[in-house]
Amino acid sequence: MHKIILIIKREFLTRVRKRTFIIGTILFPLLYLGLIFGTGYIAEKTKEDLNIAMIDESGLFKQELINAVRGTDSTNTLQLVRVSRETLKASFDSLGFDGYVIIPATFNWKTGIDTNSIMVNTKKSFGMGAINPVEKKLNQIWNKIKHDSLSLDNAKDSILNRTLSLKLNNEKNKNANAVIASTIGYVCGFLMYFILLLYGSQVMMGVTEEKTNRIAEVVVSSVKPFQLMIGKIIGIGMVALTQFLIWILCIFLIYNVTKTTGSGGGAASLMVGKIQEVFTSVNIPLTIGLFIFYLMGGFFFYSSLYAAIGSAINEDMREAQSLSFPITMLVIFSIALMTPAIANPSSPVAVWASIVPFSSPIVMMARIPFGVPNTVPIWQLALSMALLIAGFMFTTWFAARIYRTGILMYGKKPSWKEMIKWAFRK
Amino acid sequence: MNILELHNLKKYFATQKAVDDISMSISKGNIFGLLGPNGAGKTTLIRMITGIFYPDAGEILLKGKKFDPENDAKYIGYMPEERGLYKKMKIGEQALYLAQLKGLSKADAMHKIKEWFQRLEMESWWNKKVEDLSKGMGQKLQFVITVLHEPDLIILDEPFSGLDPINANLIKDEIFRLAQNGTTVIFSTHRMEQVEEICNHIVLVNKGTKILDGTVQGVKQDFKENLFGIQLENTPATISSAAFEIIGSNKQELTVKIHDGYKANDVLGYFMNQGCGIVSFKEILPSLNDIFIKLVEGTPTARQFENITA
Repeated sequence: MHKIILIIKREFLTRVRKRTFIIGTILFPLLYLGLIFGTGYIAEKTKEDLNIAMIDESGLFKQELINAVRGTDSTNTLQLVRVSRETLKASFDSLGFDGYVIIPATFNWKTGIDTNSIMVNTKKSFGMGAINPVEKKLNQIWNKIKHDSLSLDNAKDSILNRTLSLKLNNEKNKNANAVIASTIGYVCGFLMYFILLLYGSQVMMGVTEEKTNRIAEVVVSSVKPFQLMIGKIIGIGMVALTQFLIWILCIFLIYNVTKTTGSGGGAASLMVGKIQEVFTSVNIPLTIGLFIFYLMGGFFFYSSLYAAIGSAINEDMREAQSLSFPITMLVIFSIALMTPAIANPSSPVAVWASIVPFSSPIVMMARIPFGVPNTVPIWQLALSMALLIAGFMFTTWFAARIYRTGILMYGKKPSWKEMIKWAFRK
Repeated sequence: MNILELHNLKKYFATQKAVDDISMSISKGNIFGLLGPNGAGKTTLIRMITGIFYPDAGEILLKGKKFDPENDAKYIGYMPEERGLYKKMKIGEQALYLAQLKGLSKADAMHKIKEWFQRLEMESWWNKKVEDLSKGMGQKLQFVITVLHEPDLIILDEPFSGLDPINANLIKDEIFRLAQNGTTVIFSTHRMEQVEEICNHIVLVNKGTKILDGTVQGVKQDFKENLFGIQLENTPATISSAAFEIIGSNKQELTVKIHDGYKANDVLGYFMNQGCGIVSFKEILPSLNDIFIKLVEGTPTARQFENITA
């Protein structure tokens, strides 16, 4: 026991003291936020401003109507031109237009045109993101034409535009908020996914390092192979846990600081408000507690398999990839199951995927924010937790048997079939 | 007293009888050479002695008691042929960690590391990483880590590979010093000149079985071919005697092989009768290298894969 603690301590300390851990801990959340905001920003910035020329042969699309909708969307401009089709076709790009639209003489204010569509003629291809606003603008103009023709005034117009909106009211749980629950679900699921893959592969590389550097030979003569393996897994698991706890602590710190000082302006108070909303609608202590359980359970489940692979391979990292592919696929499959589970947290797929050990860490964590015991009954949670414990005990046992053979075996890379044979040999 | 006894050890792998019924005993304070060609089963044998492998059959006695890998680890120090260290870990911490794994307390380990580092002039290495060391320096560190916990039995696999003569001598002196203090050393190699220099007892294994066991001097006596070297002041033009024949000569020395039934005195007598002045006369014993080649030659150089039903 004393020796396992020594191994855990070494694995933990050498990793936590590394610069990459410190940078990763700080950088990962920043990168994650950056990714979310960055892609939004880039999408916004790269929108193309279309300048469209328009020939109106119907006489309905008047300049003042076009001017009236101009302010609604600045990403494109429509401009009425009075030249022939041929001249425009030949010279629209030299006049500074990206494309042109022709409203044919057959356009009728009640029925539109027979073909139901109008061409935007361009010399480049534009995405739907650029074309849709133009379409919207044309329809706005047509709406105005319809209103004028039907002689609707503003009062009638606003009556026509009234709509209903539908909101969910969960009678059992007044605070339930599907949007927040799915957001938290996604965050939990993805975080789990990242941690499992990231730290799982760290276990694999660590084991391979010990094997190829022949450290295993020195160490296995003083400790059992199982102790070496489990020490490494627990040590790296603690690193993952530490990183997670640091993130949680940061969120609480930022929350409390902004709340008490009340400073930081609009953005900060908006965030405080958001977090408060999250606190009231999701059981945060329960979610964090269960996250830690599923993080550890899932980590043991997968990392022991990764350790087995690490023990089987030699220096070649390509071998690692081909052997770990089935394991990585299980994790990816789980994340694929997460999306339908969040969309429908009580569906049979969601329920079973959150109970079966290999997918439960990710899928169950995606369901838990929807509420325990309303969406996730206690029996499901208990069964899932029990099966995960049984699951990781099995994978650890299985991996240990592969590990003790693989760690001292050099030469050809074994296949999965051979590794399974090692595991079930007496 | 025998520190280590092996009784009928067997270890079969799927395609090879790696160790097939080997017995031997090693007495305390000996420097013991474990020799054999590549793939003879040396590593498997060592792995069973270090507790990495369980034997399929047979028994290992350490200090007269049945070997228990978990509790007896502290009595054994094993240095594998290559590396065996964490590249990215600081040298001081690494030595401390590995010594603690062997069962030393932290303070005790620290004290011993300091002592060894001082003796081998390695103090400045403490905060360096293993990847900063040359191969020879790494080998030196590996040696220190192997002997740090003062084991009764040290197993060294090719300890001098990559060491320059100065450092090799340094390690050699340490090995002698340890043996004098009662440590037993098993020395696995195929460099015969080192064996002759260092070991006093050897075992030769080939194809999983023991083919030779004895002291270095005894083995040499067993394999001697009655060869003598003789230096003469003036060499007669024709030499013919029933007692011996000349099998080699250079300017100063003749190599003679004495026929069965005759003695060295017969050779000297012949030359004295011929009136030749004798400058020197000595017995030529075979080198371990010759014995090794003689015994192993004729068997296939590489072990063949075979099907084992056991």
